[in-house]
Amino acid sequence: MSNTPTSDSLITTDVQTESTDRSAVSGATAVAARDLNVYYGDEQAIDDVSIEIPEKRVTALIGPSGCGKSTFLRCINRMNDMIDVCRVEGDVEFGGKNVYDDDVDPVALRRKIGMVFQKPNPFPKSIRDNVAYGLEIQGFDGDVDARVEESLKGAALWDEVKDQLDSSGLDLSGGQQQRLCIARAIAPDPEVILMDEPTSALDPVAASKIEDLIDDLAEEYTVIIVTHNMQQAARISDRTAVFLTGGRLVEYDDTTKIFEDPEEQRVEDYITGKFG
Amino acid sequence: MATDNATGGGFGEVSRLRGIAFEYLSLGASVAGLVALGVLLVYVAIDAFDLANASPEWLLTYFLTLVVPFLGFCLYSAGDPAITRRALGALGGGLVAVAALFTAIEAFVVDIPRLSWQLAYLFVVVAPVTGYLTYVGSRGRVGAVGFGLLGRLVGGVAVGLAVGTLFLVFDELVWFLAYTLGVLPAAGLYAYGRWRDADRAASAALPVGLVGVVAAVFLRGVIATYPSDLIIYLWTLAVPIAAVGALVVAGRGSRTAAAAAGGVPLAVATATGFLAGGLGVPGPTALIVLAVTGVPTAVYVHRVIDGGEGVVGLGLPLLIAAGVIAGALVVEAWGVPAPDPWLDVSYVTEAPSRTPEEAGLYPAIVGSVIIIALVAVLSFVLGVGTSIFLEEYTAGSGLVGSLTRLLQVNIANLAAIPSVVYGLLGLGLFANLLGLGFGTAVTASLTLSLLILPITIISAQEAIRSVPDDLRRGSDAMGATRWQTTKNVVLPEAFPGILTGTILALGRAIGETAPLIMIGAATTVFSAPSSLFNRFSAMPMQIYAWAGFPQAEFRYGVVAAGVITLLIILIGMNGTAILLRNRAERGN
Ligand SMILES: Nc1ncnc2c1ncn2[C@@H]1O[C@H](COP(=O)(O)OP(=O)(O)O)[C@@H](O)[C@H]1O
Ligand SMILES: [Mg+2]
Repeated sequence: MSNTPTSDSLITTDVQTESTDRSAVSGATAVAARDLNVYYGDEQAIDDVSIEIPEKRVTALIGPSGCGKSTFLRCINRMNDMIDVCRVEGDVEFGGKNVYDDDVDPVALRRKIGMVFQKPNPFPKSIRDNVAYGLEIQGFDGDVDARVEESLKGAALWDEVKDQLDSSGLDLSGGQQQRLCIARAIAPDPEVILMDEPTSALDPVAASKIEDLIDDLAEEYTVIIVTHNMQQAARISDRTAVFLTGGRLVEYDDTTKIFEDPEEQRVEDYITGKFG
Repeated sequence: MATDNATGGGFGEVSRLRGIAFEYLSLGASVAGLVALGVLLVYVAIDAFDLANASPEWLLTYFLTLVVPFLGFCLYSAGDPAITRRALGALGGGLVAVAALFTAIEAFVVDIPRLSWQLAYLFVVVAPVTGYLTYVGSRGRVGAVGFGLLGRLVGGVAVGLAVGTLFLVFDELVWFLAYTLGVLPAAGLYAYGRWRDADRAASAALPVGLVGVVAAVFLRGVIATYPSDLIIYLWTLAVPIAAVGALVVAGRGSRTAAAAAGGVPLAVATATGFLAGGLGVPGPTALIVLAVTGVPTAVYVHRVIDGGEGVVGLGLPLLIAAGVIAGALVVEAWGVPAPDPWLDVSYVTEAPSRTPEEAGLYPAIVGSVIIIALVAVLSFVLGVGTSIFLEEYTAGSGLVGSLTRLLQVNIANLAAIPSVVYGLLGLGLFANLLGLGFGTAVTASLTLSLLILPITIISAQEAIRSVPDDLRRGSDAMGATRWQTTKNVVLPEAFPGILTGTILALGRAIGETAPLIMIGAATTVFSAPSSLFNRFSAMPMQIYAWAGFPQAEFRYGVVAAGVITLLIILIGMNGTAILLRNRAERGN
């Protein structure tokens, strides 16, 4: 890892050099939220958020703990439905359709949106079965083995596991397990991949492999990643959304802009570590 | 807190007196309980096998021909000189210690009834040492092979006998039709789907199978002529088992070996099945036993020889058989008095009788096996179903949530209801209201299933709850439906735990007497039930009845033999389930 924070700013020149291959200017919108409010019981976790997330870019969500980043992420694939006390108001549009409309089947929606969690959670099955899981439940008709290989290659794991596809996914190291989860998420070829602090449970070397991988994934997928790690956001994302306490979206812009010249004083304070 | 400060050097001292007292008291309490149970079992075993009449020469003979070679095998397998030294020390030192202590107690304190110092040595020293060495030996490669083979032989015979027993009450003609029309096509479709990756064929398997089974039930009355029992068992059990065995071996390469592994046991089983009738053994049962034993054994032997490791271990069954035969020959030639065990072949194959020498447990064993099989299936299906519903499907809030909690509390309370009350329920509901008959196997099975259902549900819930939520969320996020998540992720992970709970619950069901008395089960029947609606008896009922007989031989010998039989069946059942569970755990 070449980036080390300088004493008063996290902004490094690497930010620009690493993301120059994709223009940060937004193309089509993949996911959009409009006037989104989320409550857990009486407590508000997302406060009137509106945001447009561009297609085939990496968008980072940063902010102090408890500011609603994970909650926002779970609104996109309606994983919040599983939480009894959770109530969502407003629209989340995906592919031009409000996912909270009555005629949307959340299970069908989730088949189009992959998700990677903070703690690697491979199933206690073989590596092959882990990757093929999404295909199996969707009744995929094609060549499963080819898809498994392609997804493992896409997750930069193929070379390490190609000789042990039948051994348990739990026998892998933490970083490999997380890449297995990424392979599992991309196998059914979703449009969007949601990642909730995918590297925070990993050691730095494993984390940097995943970061490289995320960069590649954005060629084909829209990646929305929650991270606690400012350098990570700066390195890998094209757009950055800064949430602050109370679930408010304070600033949302190109990553370079956020890290070099944020509009809001609070954002600058947060990024430079004055609070958070 | 329970620690007192006392002044002392340095930092002072903290008293741990209460902790230490607690530790030793609880240790003492558990040891006392185990010792009491152990002494009881020793006396029961002595009665059942008539060991009180075993002469020291008889014991010595078998010790030398059977026990010593077996221990030698275990020590060889362990291959650790330190263990060998310790084992010899324990056997030798134990001999001296037990003999001296026993003689001293007899001389100075009290006369110990029905025991000699040799028997005491057998139970106090030889049995534990053998147990320990069996454990140690089975961890070595040679021992693992030996016990693996022995397990397949014994397990195969047990499963074969159990299946044969079940066919006493289930109509084999329905089974014949169901197998031919449902099971076989379904298995074929499934295998084809797997092989060719044709999901449609694989998913058609279940409906096709169900239709076939339903058709079988309807056609049973329509079709008039059937092949003989022997042909039916050959076609529906022996051939498929042999085919699976051959496939397993073929999967590892050699075609000739595959043909041998499937073919030889099948041929032997068929020949024996046809011949058995002439010998008075029921042919179909002989066929099932040989097929179920022979094929897995052949597959296992092939695998061991192929692997080339621990091949010597395959000699263990021979070693044991040779030991028994040699012991018998020596005893015969020497002419020493031998015990006349109550628990012998005729005891488990014959009906109860007025004379203790002729009394047998056969009808009660059959009754118990049938009931246990039904209870296992019923309580597993109902228990797992209910616990999945409670854990995975109900909402946490709202009306349904409150109802669920109410149900939950009540299930916990049901577990505490005395078993006679369940007996009453069975009598009222199944025997009277539904007309399933007094003291019939169905009524008993349904009653006992209800009795253990709460335990099964609670333990299955526990197992399901211990599946990490991470896995569920992972599956949900992939777009799995609730059912897919449950079936693909939760159940496989919870299966070992569910099995453990079911085993414990079944252990309780097999020993129940009170509810059986309530539903009118017979204490004694003289022939094995031939249908589920026959009056039947179960082992605990029969044992209980014998315990009240006036002749002392019944109360000691015959009852003891019954208790040992019950324990063996219980341990066998638990052992099978534990093996299944370990296999499932390793599969993950
Ligand atoms: N399952 C839940 N039930 C109740 N409150 C929750 C739940 N999940 C999150 N919250 C609350 O919502 C707020 C935002 O949480 P979260 O989205 O996890 O924040 P972040 O991911 O930014 O750390 C927090 O105040 C948290 O306590
Ligand atoms: Mg979070």
